[in-house]
Amino acid sequence: MTRRPLLLLAATSAAVLTLAGCAQSSAGQSSGGAAADAPAASAAPAPAPFDGDPVEVALVRQSGAGDYFTAWGSGAQKQAEAVNIELTVTDARNDNAKHASDLEQAIASAPDAIIVDHGQTDTIEPLVHQAVDAGIPVVVYDLALNDPTGVIVTSQSDESMAQGVLDQLIEDVGEGAQVGYVSATGFAPLDRRAAVWNQVVEDNGLQQVFSTGKVTESTATDNIPLVDAALKQNPEVQAIFAPYDEITKGAVQAVLQNNLQEQVKVYGIDISNADIEVMITEGSPWVATSATDPAAVGAAVVRTLALSLAGELEEESVQFPAVTITQEFLLDEGITNVTELREAEPDLLLDDVVTADWLPAVS
Amino acid sequence: MSARVTTAVSAGVARWGFIAVTVLLIAFFATTEPSFRTLDNALGMLKFIAPTAIAGLGVALAMTVGGIDLSVGASAGFAVSIAAWTMVIGNQVGGVAIATVLLGGAIIGAVNALLVVVAKIPDLLATLTTMFVVVGLKLILVNGQSISSRMTLPDGSTAPGVFTADFLWLDRGRIGPIPVPVILFLVLTALLWFVLEHTRWGRALYAVGANPEAARLAGIRVRTYRAAAYIGCGLLASIAGLLLAARIGQGDVSAGNSLLLDAVAVALVGVSVLGAGKPNAWGTALGAVLVAVMITGFTMLGLPYYAQDFGKGIVLLVALLFSFTFSRRRVAVTAGSTASQ
Repeated sequence: MTRRPLLLLAATSAAVLTLAGCAQSSAGQSSGGAAADAPAASAAPAPAPFDGDPVEVALVRQSGAGDYFTAWGSGAQKQAEAVNIELTVTDARNDNAKHASDLEQAIASAPDAIIVDHGQTDTIEPLVHQAVDAGIPVVVYDLALNDPTGVIVTSQSDESMAQGVLDQLIEDVGEGAQVGYVSATGFAPLDRRAAVWNQVVEDNGLQQVFSTGKVTESTATDNIPLVDAALKQNPEVQAIFAPYDEITKGAVQAVLQNNLQEQVKVYGIDISNADIEVMITEGSPWVATSATDPAAVGAAVVRTLALSLAGELEEESVQFPAVTITQEFLLDEGITNVTELREAEPDLLLDDVVTADWLPAVS
Repeated sequence: MSARVTTAVSAGVARWGFIAVTVLLIAFFATTEPSFRTLDNALGMLKFIAPTAIAGLGVALAMTVGGIDLSVGASAGFAVSIAAWTMVIGNQVGGVAIATVLLGGAIIGAVNALLVVVAKIPDLLATLTTMFVVVGLKLILVNGQSISSRMTLPDGSTAPGVFTADFLWLDRGRIGPIPVPVILFLVLTALLWFVLEHTRWGRALYAVGANPEAARLAGIRVRTYRAAAYIGCGLLASIAGLLLAARIGQGDVSAGNSLLLDAVAVALVGVSVLGAGKPNAWGTALGAVLVAVMITGFTMLGLPYYAQDFGKGIVLLVALLFSFTFSRRRVAVTAGSTASQ
């Protein structure tokens, strides 16, 4: 019998433990709601549906981890709060089955709109159409759709990213140069960048002496041996295009370990604090990259949705332009991280892209 | 006999405590989140958790013989790639893909059985090894690439096949208002429950798990039953993989990675439900439902995924307290080859 009070005590504490978790969660929600109620000070009066109760939007993300995606998410969140949108965010952690389930459940919960961030076409597209059929407005970001009817498609402009940095490449090494290409196929952004690359190679008579590369769980490391082998076979190459920063870093390492940084220039895409550090290191062959500011892009996607819900969006497809960043620019301006870069290059802020007087960009 | 009253109390906590936690959570979310208390959401949650639940049934089956199977996630992932390969590269219809996947699952289960029963490697180590081998083999078969409908092959040509509609129906279809995965989930749970509780085989499986030596002396063919449990587990894991493949619609090479820990967790939770004190089918199903309720509810509350992991951990802890601390019954589950005596 002596065990009885002990058991009750233990059972109660277990229940309290669980309830404490619940209490914490409702507190978190109410603070989010309060922030959403505070409109941005400078904004003109918002049109419907943003002039009443918070607009409920589900943000269904394939991944929210890593520098890029974290910044993207916080940009989206800030813009949402400024425009009276209550974002419910799901993060599939790169599990595509969960991404599909998340979207399905978002549709079932009938929000005012859905934003789908990245995703696999075969997995997500049928569900996007299902949402549209259910009358829910959908904005997709960096998700390739075979049939974009009724969907607002946004992307960071891979064409402008690739074109800007390749213009720089041609300017540096000239037409007919010997070049190498390091990338992978089967990823929508990389495929779009590849199309630009092929065009530039053709238009400028570049001789592509090697093409290699892959995307893995440790892309930077795994590309070093590939580029290393390619360089040993083709040491006369003048420039390498590696259109994804993890691959770029691998290519840079391979150039350095072959001691070819005097002859071979590397052109990348994307930017992060770590990337800037690699670019400004003495003797780095990475001379130019092309970038968008993920926080600004996340915010711009939410603005696109807001404009569309207010009936003020003219087009059904929005691309966020990229900025080409050279090693020279970084060194001249003494830039060592993304925050400083954002100050030195205001074009990254996208604060004149998809805005309205009631919908200023948060930055 | 004087211990009977105390036992009744602790059995009460063990039996109903877990159900109470589940009901409280459902009531809480249903009150705070209007979109939680819809039929669509209920079916959505069951559908979402179906692959985890089915893999969990497999783990529970392996646990009945005192084992564990760490290769369920790998088997499910293997199933995804094999299904994609059969349809997209092999240009076969959905039925052939399903048969191939099930055969693959049974073979993986048989390999586990060989390692555990014949080679006498402890379950934990044997299935861990299988996990690595299967993940690697899958990547070798598909050259590390996700196979998608009409993909461009290394030689520049286009793959002949696509994910067929009848295959996709496995996850995306409905029978009446009920999604197919939910039906599969319930049917497989009922089937496993029937086998474990109402057949001679079920009693033999539990007997092997509780005390292999006694079971052997009682004339039970211990090795056969242990092998059968692993093969059954491999089959269930590959069915989970079929659902994942139909959900994703391509041979995603990372599919199944996140399945293992959740499957083991729901099987463990299942041990505590209703004070069973042993791995069982309905308990596992309820454990899976609880995980789905938490993930969905927490998401609707706006909590990030790490809060969901924390919540899952707490619930697992509570469940384990119910089955190991409050229950006076001997618990016949261990993560290894020997059952507690």
